[in-house]
Amino acid sequence: MLEKGFSQPTDRIKRLANVIVTAFPEVEAERAVLATQAFKETEGLSNVMRRAKVAEKLFTELPVTIRDDELIVGSLTVHPRSCQIAPEYSYDWVEAEFDTMETRMADPFKIPKDVAAKLHEAFLYWPGKTVSDLATSYMSEETKDCQANGVFTVGNYYYGGVGHVCVDYGKVITKGFRGVIEEVVNAMEKMDRMDPSYMKKQQFYNAVIITYTAAIKFAHRYADKAREMAAVEMNPTRKAELLQIASNCDRVPEYGATNFYEACQAFWFVQLMLQIESSGHSISPGRFDTYMYPFYRDDKNITKDFAQELIDCIWVKLNDLNKTRDAISDQAFAGYAIFQNLGVGGQDECGRDITNDISYMCMEACAHVRLPAPSFSIRVHENTPDEFLYRACELARLGLGVPAMYNDEVIIPALVNRGVKLEDARNYCIIGCVEPQCPHKTEGWHDAAFFNVAKVMEITMNNGRVGGKQLGPVTGEMKDWTNIEDFFTAFKKQMEYFVYHLVEADNAVDLAHMERDQLPFLSALVDDCIGRGMTVEEGGAIYNFTGPQAFGVVDVGDSAYAMQKHVFENKEITVAQLKEALDHNFGYPVDSSTQAEKAFDAARAACGVTPAATFNAPNCGQTDEQKVYEIVKRILTTNGSVDLASVTNEVNRSFMACGGATPAGNVDYFAIKRLMEKTEWYGNDIDETDYVSARVARIYSAEVEKYTNPRGGQFQAGCYPVSANVLFGKDVAALPDGRLATTPLADGVSPRAGKDTSGPTAATNSVAKLDHEYFSNGTLYNQKFTPSAVAGEEGLKNFAAVVRSYFDHKGMHVQFNVIDKQTLIDAQQHPELHKDLVVRVAGYSAHFVTLAKEVQDNIIERTEHNFSGGCGCGH
Amino acid sequence: MEPVNYAKEGLVFDIQRFSVNDGPGIRTIVFLNGCPLRCQWCANPESQLLRPVVMYNELECIHCGICKSVCKQGAIGSGNKGLIDRTKCIGCGECSIACPAGALIMKGKKMTVEEVIKELKKDGSQYRRSGGGLTISGGEPLVQHEFTLELLKAAHAQGWNTAIETTGYADEEIIRKVLPHVDLSLTDVKSMDSKIHEQYTGVPNEKILKNVKLISDITKIMVRVPVIPGVNEKREDILKIAEFAKTLNQQNLMGINLLPYHSMGENKYKMLGRDYKLHGLHMMNRDDINVLREQVEKTGIQCKVG
Repeated sequence: MLEKGFSQPTDRIKRLANVIVTAFPEVEAERAVLATQAFKETEGLSNVMRRAKVAEKLFTELPVTIRDDELIVGSLTVHPRSCQIAPEYSYDWVEAEFDTMETRMADPFKIPKDVAAKLHEAFLYWPGKTVSDLATSYMSEETKDCQANGVFTVGNYYYGGVGHVCVDYGKVITKGFRGVIEEVVNAMEKMDRMDPSYMKKQQFYNAVIITYTAAIKFAHRYADKAREMAAVEMNPTRKAELLQIASNCDRVPEYGATNFYEACQAFWFVQLMLQIESSGHSISPGRFDTYMYPFYRDDKNITKDFAQELIDCIWVKLNDLNKTRDAISDQAFAGYAIFQNLGVGGQDECGRDITNDISYMCMEACAHVRLPAPSFSIRVHENTPDEFLYRACELARLGLGVPAMYNDEVIIPALVNRGVKLEDARNYCIIGCVEPQCPHKTEGWHDAAFFNVAKVMEITMNNGRVGGKQLGPVTGEMKDWTNIEDFFTAFKKQMEYFVYHLVEADNAVDLAHMERDQLPFLSALVDDCIGRGMTVEEGGAIYNFTGPQAFGVVDVGDSAYAMQKHVFENKEITVAQLKEALDHNFGYPVDSSTQAEKAFDAARAACGVTPAATFNAPNCGQTDEQKVYEIVKRILTTNGSVDLASVTNEVNRSFMACGGATPAGNVDYFAIKRLMEKTEWYGNDIDETDYVSARVARIYSAEVEKYTNPRGGQFQAGCYPVSANVLFGKDVAALPDGRLATTPLADGVSPRAGKDTSGPTAATNSVAKLDHEYFSNGTLYNQKFTPSAVAGEEGLKNFAAVVRSYFDHKGMHVQFNVIDKQTLIDAQQHPELHKDLVVRVAGYSAHFVTLAKEVQDNIIERTEHNFSGGCGCGH
Repeated sequence: MEPVNYAKEGLVFDIQRFSVNDGPGIRTIVFLNGCPLRCQWCANPESQLLRPVVMYNELECIHCGICKSVCKQGAIGSGNKGLIDRTKCIGCGECSIACPAGALIMKGKKMTVEEVIKELKKDGSQYRRSGGGLTISGGEPLVQHEFTLELLKAAHAQGWNTAIETTGYADEEIIRKVLPHVDLSLTDVKSMDSKIHEQYTGVPNEKILKNVKLISDITKIMVRVPVIPGVNEKREDILKIAEFAKTLNQQNLMGINLLPYHSMGENKYKMLGRDYKLHGLHMMNRDDINVLREQVEKTGIQCKVG
């Protein structure tokens, strides 16, 4: 049997997971207060020494918290799933949200009054002293302008720590912190006093020793706390557990682990301490099954069930860590996500498959715990056992959104192409969302920016202007274009300009981290910082990169192809007519939600205004469409819904009041929108259009690759949006593909919503045509599936075949979402966004949105959560 | 091996990729125009004629009137039921090309074997990874038997698995010529009662039953039963079909596949300006169909639903 099913977690795991689910996250003040104190006390010292003193204070004084039922201990906060603040990066946005963070839409946090007061007090120290302040001082006005106009944002590291790294967990588990200190002492002994950087290196080494000595103490404080709790514990079972915890924390991470349980505890301390030292997110455990397996294999006393429970405990702990961001950023990262990516499977340095028992137990843990963390990944290569892939597909079928699947056959050559040694590339892991790196040898700066390629297209069509302002270079007016190459020539020049400024912004922030954010705890666990006597921030890692992400690539590709076809080849409209329609948002009111768009269409029909008539008649100081929109809005506000009779009445009254509508002119924007939308889109496996998107993607990646960062590493492109495609879509005007202003852009390398109407194999083939190997900072492809399409043994086989063949075609990453009842209900309400949904039964298929309402209802009713039988609705 | 005539032309009304219910693995279904039967429950009514037909989707229509102005037959007018006067329409497709809203959709396009194979090749990797391949459906694929034959040979030349979905209604000589190139024949048996069969499908069943036996001697066969309330949903109806299945070549019989009635084709009738005779008929409930499945299994024949 391919289908194995998943077991139930223990009651302890259920209780622990429930604590996370029911927690209302809070902001706590201790870290900000202690760190600020330490910074105040160390003003005369070097940055790395100051950071060591900060770490020392935090490790010695942060509250020690052991929660009920825990077997693995170590907490960032007293309250579960809560967060600390790191004002050394930036603080003003926290202060600004003291009163609103609890009630904001995305990722609310409670800030109790006393906490706000303590934070306010700490923040008084920081004006002018933060990493963010320094970065701002390095940026030119032009660069700031680009960001203000939504061309790109470097917000992630501008306002917080860098994170985005996988450290050497294996070293700590094997040799302990004492092993790290010993390594430093050895390096110190080898130092040459004639070396001009001798003093600088010495500062770093001393900083590491101070930090790791304090880190050992931190673990011992947990041992003491566990013993204290054991002394008063009435339940003998829990008492024994607490004593075991005490004994574990006595041993690790000071020394190497002697069994699997200690290895788990040592792993957790490293994961936690990194997130105490800095606020950077995407601290990724990486290849957990490779470094944990030897301790499981050699532990003769542990049962498989207990080892599973320990792994489950780690899964829960990963959800106990949290981070708050400003309200806007949290829309882009919605879901309390801190992207601790943990992966299993893949190959070793010699290319041999490494799948082991821990790989499978990690999958079981995902099914047991069912919480957002870790971001769980699998690696797939030609020699990946089929059983492993089937198991991964079985997990994906649960609809938890994991695992994400990565293709070794693309990622390894992509990294080698960036100068990573073959054996290091084979050992890659995934950081954060989708970013590959060689673990504990890389400072990848993977989430360096979001770059809005669609915005650059808008600017190109306006000869470098945004609004009335000349933001980019003058590259020619759109009306003078005579073929699609004219567009590409102008677009490339604009891209050159904006990517240059993107790099300036990134390097400004990079320099600021280099000067104000040298992290000794992190650096000692990344090769070859100790060897070179440098922190990660100064360039101590073997591999250095900066990875800014493009989004909107597909929107530009589809738009360029639609222009090429309808304007330049078929000459159905002139480029001037298209431009005018774009300037008028195809006759729709800007900021129209989909619903408003529909209401607007209904209102238009009700007014008897046919699309053949023009709406370009601003004779009343207001265009007719604005007027109609106003009316719809008014009715919506009072009635909550639009009925045609009231619209007609309102429209007639309103139009009469200003002398009646007088359609004039010769441009019909609605017809232009329809015309431009009658195009073959990316996502349907049609070379002519798919390769236009691939070309746009390559223009971005080639531009980015030209640059170097202050750590001496290359810039490399990624193509994934997190959820920035929705947020930053708000900054982009109407596009030639018919997309209206302010609506969401395409998600990563996925086709635009609802445009891939030829089924999943066509969509995956299209996506694979983008040259993923150039996107060595990662690409993201969301594939939807319906329970019935992958039901049963046959379904599992087909699911795995979809993955294998996407990877045959050189796709890089894919993750799967289940189409559930809710999606189908949404498709009834917003059919235009779900034209890709296909109902499949034997010998028949139809697009869901074209079915009669009763039939749709029937299918919705039949769409269940299980896989034993389907609704007949396949993708 | 016989050479393939890649230039052979056929009339194709749809090509559907990622089909997982019509033979093993991931498959592409090529739907061909033309069917000798007129089953009342037919979910693909646009396939029945051996010529292109136009479907009218009123939801997308913007009532611009352009179609009317381009139609040389004078077949389009708002007074017509479903916009188009089907007695005048010759399926030339001019209106569909002119329609700015995509509300007029042509079903039926001439394609060569080479063109179809080019489309199928896009999923070559998916077939290889899943053991899938080509399924020819319809309509009745044996109506355009020469095209079907060339397509099957071309698919085998690529090493793909081949299947057809057939009513079994064709001349014996055609069966003997085409079926050796089919790896799996998904063959409908709708009713053992010839009168009922004729009443609901327009043809009696004797020829079909004879052909089904013949097919089972040539290649793997799955007997498919569309289970239609009021026609053949009774226990004894299905059991008779099971008994018949027992008389087939058991080495090639893969089992019986019960396909519960669904009304998802109804909308298409409206788009063709036709009445749907089964309007209001409910889809079968899952428990009832499972009872039938158990009955079939008791006879020792493998049975699956859907």
